[in-house]
Amino acid sequence: MTTAADGEDMGMQPAMTDTDIRKSFHQQLDDIKHDIVRMAAIVTEAVPQGTAVLLDGDLHGAQELIEADDLLDTLALDTEERCYQLLALQQPMASDLRSIVTALRMVSEIERSGDLVVNIAKGARRIYGTTFPPRMRGLITQMGEESAKLFRIAIDAYVEHDDGKAAALPDLDDRLDALHKDYIQEIFETHGREELEIRAGVQLALIGRYYERIGDHAVNIGERVRYMVTGWLPEHTGAAREAARRQTDPPHIEPAD
Amino acid sequence: MAVAIVAVGVVLLVAVVGLLVLDRRRRAATDQCADLETELERMRARAVASATHATALREALDAIPLGVIIGDRTGTVIYRNPAAALFLDARHGEALVEVAIRELIGDAIQGERTSRSLELFGPPRRVLEVQAVPLGDAGTGAGTGGLIVVEDVSDRRRLEAIRRDFVANISHELKTPVGALGLLAETLLGEDDPEVTHPLAERMVAEAFRVNRTIDDLLELSRIEAGEAPVRQPVLVQQVLDGAADRIRPAATLRSIEVVVEPGPLGLTVMGDRRQLVSAMFNLLDNAVKYSEPDHVVTLRSSAVCAEDGSAWAELAVVDQGMGIPARDLERVFERFYRVDRARSRGTGGTGLGLAIVRHVAGNHHGDVSVESQEGSGSTFRLRLPAALANEEAQAG
Repeated sequence: MTTAADGEDMGMQPAMTDTDIRKSFHQQLDDIKHDIVRMAAIVTEAVPQGTAVLLDGDLHGAQELIEADDLLDTLALDTEERCYQLLALQQPMASDLRSIVTALRMVSEIERSGDLVVNIAKGARRIYGTTFPPRMRGLITQMGEESAKLFRIAIDAYVEHDDGKAAALPDLDDRLDALHKDYIQEIFETHGREELEIRAGVQLALIGRYYERIGDHAVNIGERVRYMVTGWLPEHTGAAREAARRQTDPPHIEPAD
Repeated sequence: MAVAIVAVGVVLLVAVVGLLVLDRRRRAATDQCADLETELERMRARAVASATHATALREALDAIPLGVIIGDRTGTVIYRNPAAALFLDARHGEALVEVAIRELIGDAIQGERTSRSLELFGPPRRVLEVQAVPLGDAGTGAGTGGLIVVEDVSDRRRLEAIRRDFVANISHELKTPVGALGLLAETLLGEDDPEVTHPLAERMVAEAFRVNRTIDDLLELSRIEAGEAPVRQPVLVQQVLDGAADRIRPAATLRSIEVVVEPGPLGLTVMGDRRQLVSAMFNLLDNAVKYSEPDHVVTLRSSAVCAEDGSAWAELAVVDQGMGIPARDLERVFERFYRVDRARSRGTGGTGLGLAIVRHVAGNHHGDVSVESQEGSGSTFRLRLPAALANEEAQAG
């Protein structure tokens, strides 16, 4: 396993001095960021590939996708490990701390999205040989495009530190949700016309769900980016509501501490 | 006394010799100085020349349409041209290219000449080839770094696929009906019963027509391709649309598909061959009708569009609500004999050359044809032709 960072160092690491340590902390943060972008790139590429595998009934491609996930897992473990090291050894504060915490959360979101693509490939393998009607193919294509787009925007927001872009993700995700709804409807209708077996129908419904979940992960990444940039999380709104409720209605709820 | 004179003589001699030597030294030094100066001048000139040389080289590298990246012997990137800038500090698919580049720089400074091809699903979908070339004498450990060349080979791959498929497709299109004819004729030979012979003969006629259509289309295609200078006369776009719609109506009505010609900009005109243009639009319509379901509407639309460079274009669009075209086939449907679905196309009786003809007609008229499609909701084919401006029309007239 070589990472982008290895390519730059080429194993020529001189002994560290005190000033080097600070520099190397930010260098390490950059490397982590780099690897997260790389992991996300694997997913944004894998989504359209998964769609192609599904629509073309490409068994070879499915196998390739399933195997490619191992690299993503390795990268995820490695990146996570380095985040812990930085936390333990550097005790970062403020925005540095938020960057690392964000990175940790993003690693798991990205890794999970990669798993969902693997699920799509496995689903495609299970329904190998099924022909689906054009409208359903169209919806699958669109769901694939839409979820990859959400993922790309989430990563753009991360790289550009753009909380506005990140905040737009939930609205963009609505389109994917609407497509998913149409798609489920289409499965029912196609099955009703007896053009689709129940087995394939169930698999396809699950596959639709995987796309929809990839979109949700992109939205989660967006939330984490907003946290990284502003320190605010959407959950804060819920927490504030909860606090307000407690104040207006003290007898029913015991204070937590 | 004599000793003193000799001593003085010796001293004088020494002095004279010394002076002579000094003078020679001085002269030699001056010569050397002059030499040095010319040498310096030469070096300066050479430095200037090599600086210009370096600038020229750098500019040449910048202009190359390939991505060029140079790494020094530690693997640090010391140069990249604009085409390669896309792949450094990249995200999304390009970030994967960056990883490959960094790994290959490592190979190159080890003295290995390697290459890797990367398929990016994009969109747009493309194939990139990344090559690593060691610089300097890497084998002896005197390597000075590595050169990385990134090339987009999508077009080349596509052409290879076209070449590969063409022979297979053409033999399929011509051999299938001819083979069927042979078999049918053979069966016919051994039959007397009109109950059997009649349907056999009918099928023979159908197959013969099929070959005939294919050959007609091939001839038409080579005629257009041969670049017989197309007639250049002003043609009203609306007339082209109406002409093509009238030709398709009987077939459309038979399948209860409605063909609608929307009124476009009045007097929109292109320069060209009316017959060829109508046949191109007819081919697009023919497809639209074939791949529509009963009760669908096929719409013909024309509009004037202004390109970014200010040139005026006429756009002729055929919009259908049919089954659409899978994304992976979109860029290949204009190839000769390319079929999205062989099984279906046999049924519709097309020759597989319609869209190739459209593309050539568009090319002959300095225009282009493009397609947009969403599976299950229909396709839109657009034929774009340079619009004839009023004065050009007058000149031509």
